[in-house]
Amino acid sequence: MDLVVFGIVWIIITAVAEWLMHHYVGHNSMYFLLSNQGNITLHAFNFLTTMLIPVFLFVIWFLVFSAIRFHANSPEAKQSRHQFTKNGLFTGVWITASIAVNLLFWLHPTAADLEQMFASQLPSAQRNDLVVDVTARQWEWIFSYPQYHLTQTVNAAGQDELVIPAHKKVQFVLRSYDPFHTYDVEAGVIHSFWVPAFGIKEDVIPGETRYEYIVANRTASYQTNPEVRVQCAEVCGPGHPWMEAPIRIVTASQFHAWVAKQQKMEAASGA
Amino acid sequence: MAQNVVATNTHKVRVMPPMLRGFLWAGIAFLLLNSITAAIRPDVGHPFFTEVSITIGWVGAVIGWLLGVGAYEGMVLPLFGVTPRVGEATDWRRYFAFATDHKVVGIQYLTSSGCAFILAGGIAMTMRIELASSTMYFFHYSDQYLSAVGVHGAIMMFSVATVALVGGLGNYMVPLMIGAKTSVFSKLSGLGQWLIPAGVLTLAFSPILGYWTTGWRGYEPLGSQDASGIIFYYLGVAALTMSSVIVSLNLVVTIVFNRAPGVTWARLPMFVWGILTVSILNLIWLPEIQMTFILQLLDRLVPLNLFNAAGSVLTQLELFWLFGHPEVYIVVVPAFALWNEIIPVMAQKSLFARSWAVIGLIFVMMLSGLVWAHHMFTNMRNSEMFPFSFFTEMISIPTGFAFMAAIGTLWKSRYRLTTPGLLILMSIFNFLHGGVTGVFLADPPVNLQVHDTMFVVAHFHYTIIGGMVFSWIAAMYYWLPKMSGRMYNEFWGKFLSIWIFIAFNTAFSTMFLVGLEGMNRWVPTYPPYLHPLNLIISIAAWTLGVGFVLHAVHIVWAWKKGPRAPENPWNGHTLEWLTSSPPPQHNFDVTPEVIDGFYNYGDDADPIVANLSELKPKQT
Ligand code: HEM
Ligand SMILES: [Cu+2]
Ligand SMILES: [Cu+2]
Repeated sequence: MDLVVFGIVWIIITAVAEWLMHHYVGHNSMYFLLSNQGNITLHAFNFLTTMLIPVFLFVIWFLVFSAIRFHANSPEAKQSRHQFTKNGLFTGVWITASIAVNLLFWLHPTAADLEQMFASQLPSAQRNDLVVDVTARQWEWIFSYPQYHLTQTVNAAGQDELVIPAHKKVQFVLRSYDPFHTYDVEAGVIHSFWVPAFGIKEDVIPGETRYEYIVANRTASYQTNPEVRVQCAEVCGPGHPWMEAPIRIVTASQFHAWVAKQQKMEAASGA
Repeated sequence: MAQNVVATNTHKVRVMPPMLRGFLWAGIAFLLLNSITAAIRPDVGHPFFTEVSITIGWVGAVIGWLLGVGAYEGMVLPLFGVTPRVGEATDWRRYFAFATDHKVVGIQYLTSSGCAFILAGGIAMTMRIELASSTMYFFHYSDQYLSAVGVHGAIMMFSVATVALVGGLGNYMVPLMIGAKTSVFSKLSGLGQWLIPAGVLTLAFSPILGYWTTGWRGYEPLGSQDASGIIFYYLGVAALTMSSVIVSLNLVVTIVFNRAPGVTWARLPMFVWGILTVSILNLIWLPEIQMTFILQLLDRLVPLNLFNAAGSVLTQLELFWLFGHPEVYIVVVPAFALWNEIIPVMAQKSLFARSWAVIGLIFVMMLSGLVWAHHMFTNMRNSEMFPFSFFTEMISIPTGFAFMAAIGTLWKSRYRLTTPGLLILMSIFNFLHGGVTGVFLADPPVNLQVHDTMFVVAHFHYTIIGGMVFSWIAAMYYWLPKMSGRMYNEFWGKFLSIWIFIAFNTAFSTMFLVGLEGMNRWVPTYPPYLHPLNLIISIAAWTLGVGFVLHAVHIVWAWKKGPRAPENPWNGHTLEWLTSSPPPQHNFDVTPEVIDGFYNYGDDADPIVANLSELKPKQT
């Protein structure tokens, strides 16, 4: 009887929770994402949520159910009527299910998604990408566009600015050193190149060059959504909280207009 | 403090209060060694205090402190065959000096941990004041905030999370639960306790030497670039981890060699299994992190260029997490053990699937050494992501066994929802949130998004506060009648537990959301769109802080003034309930002879000890 009540309620609340999750949370996005990588992340997140809701609710509901159904009415020590230390069926199902679920999670989403991610990073997959050199120093993100001979792009206010076209693969080349103090080996520390809207971050480490590949799938900017920003995610000293930079994701023609303007500006300043 | 009068066999001797003498000797030793270092340093004109002289002075200060609080009489004089003028005190003063009785040492550890918890919790409150607004208004400089994060994290991890259940309850309960009269290395363990105040004070005052910004992980090369305060971080952690190494050594050896007849491995109580596994983890991994921090200290003082761009930055990260991941299981394994220690007693029902619960603890212990790099998915080669995500996901299987045993025991039981009973259910509830979000974190694509955000901060506070601290408070209420002979107030106990439960879940579940919305860690300011949720977190965090303090007040009140407790208020079957409360100096007048397991209930359960009538207090 207990088992039946417990099971039915469990199925009902699981169904309700799944419905809520798919109608509200899944579509409204857990967070704002606009890249190919972000899609992978969001799908993995939603898949794991879908699979874990029944597990989570099983334990939560069990705790609530025991507190209601199995609590003793007096604090005196009275032996429980039912005494058992084994239940082969329950332990068997539990252990098999937990192994199965974990193997599943490792195959999908983990291994499947990683294959997809790694494939996009293969040298053979790189054709005509836009290359952006990202240099992290304490405490500034410096963006250069070697294909366009731009050494440091800035906006009208003179802040470093990252502008990329939508629907084009961008290769970010990540390095941590201080171009103004190259003689000091201590000058470079770990930073982390994170754009919340891209759905990925990569640490930037002194002495290493790393790459990240992103295709942004629509136009956006820090003004339209504050998650469209470069944010240092690894503590790098007192300036860490302010180590951010706005991003604009624009159309191809807007991008070329912007490049031309930057080139003119750098020429004017003699850079 | 008044003059300490200690009665010896023949006459009264007046001695200085040991803690005062400890401070005095520490100060003298510090000045002495600092001056010697300053004097022999070759480069003329350097300041009197340098990083090197402070480091050496600090070592002297810790030794002076340990001798001053009583190791001089307790350990050094006997070594030279001299009988000290005074022995250990027998009244309340013994709690404030070097002691060898494992119960006294346990209470000292609990007190040290409790004070450290309130101190580091208070620092967390200042952080939450700052984060209640999106701009800086409380701290003046961000490095003050970052130092607060580091001091909070380090004190919480190395002197609360690692210590309260092992050094505190482990020292007190383990010998009782295995029917031992003493612990094996009782002097060493008495010494270890006094490293805790030394370490906590070193950490708390580290900003005196300059604000440091790395947080508790001490990542390089940032560490070598930071102000000198970070050397007190390395040194404070060295003292605290040394204390836990000593505890673990003592408890492992005690469990292996001092069990009463009949306490076989198959009958060993759950909590003792938990302490055994966690102690083994401590013995393996704490020396590793000690060596790492010593290397970082030398890297800075010499300097060696080990961990900057000229050396290998990643090596330091690997070394840190090699210890860092086992550390999280060091924190939570004793909590798992407490669930399955307390649930059968509250339910008066036999423990379900005991051997699986033990196997779970052992496998968690072993797997925890294979997953460290899941903290470094943003730093690894693609090919490494497969094994590290694999082992990380697999570790939830043995973790699940603790849940399985708890659920099986609760099913169709008569569970008494006393304060400890309630808190244990809450701890399971909370830890589940930490575990489930851990599955998300184990998936590299998701991890690469939420790593280093408040999502992770919420995740680990769910496991540590939700899992370990709730179990710790549960165990304090559960064993309060044992340790003090008194009872707490059931209404206040439950009321405060519901209080912290609601405040905790409000604060930290909201913290998951700010993480998902793009709030990174280690920041005193953030973009304004994150403000409303952060305000909710701050208010709830403050409510939580107040709730913890009230629990502490209630427990201290009950300890001193609570009504007298019956000998075995919960009708527990483990051996600690077979002696008086609080137990006499050598625990048992006669050694119990165990003839059956401790977790069998029901009318046809066999007697557990053969010599019940000889053991003093009566079993109800
Ligand atoms: C009393 C309630 C608590 C509150 C409100 C609180 C709050 C915080 C906050 C705001 C941070 C900074 C997060 C960041 O920006 O990275 C933090 C970090 C941390 N907390 Fe807590 N905390 C509490 C209790 C605890 C406890 C009980 C423990 C462990 C026993 C703990 C361990 C840590 C650790 C290890 C860190 C990371 C420090 C670092 O990044 O170096 N906290 N906490
Ligand atoms: Cu940073
Ligand atoms: Cu870990």
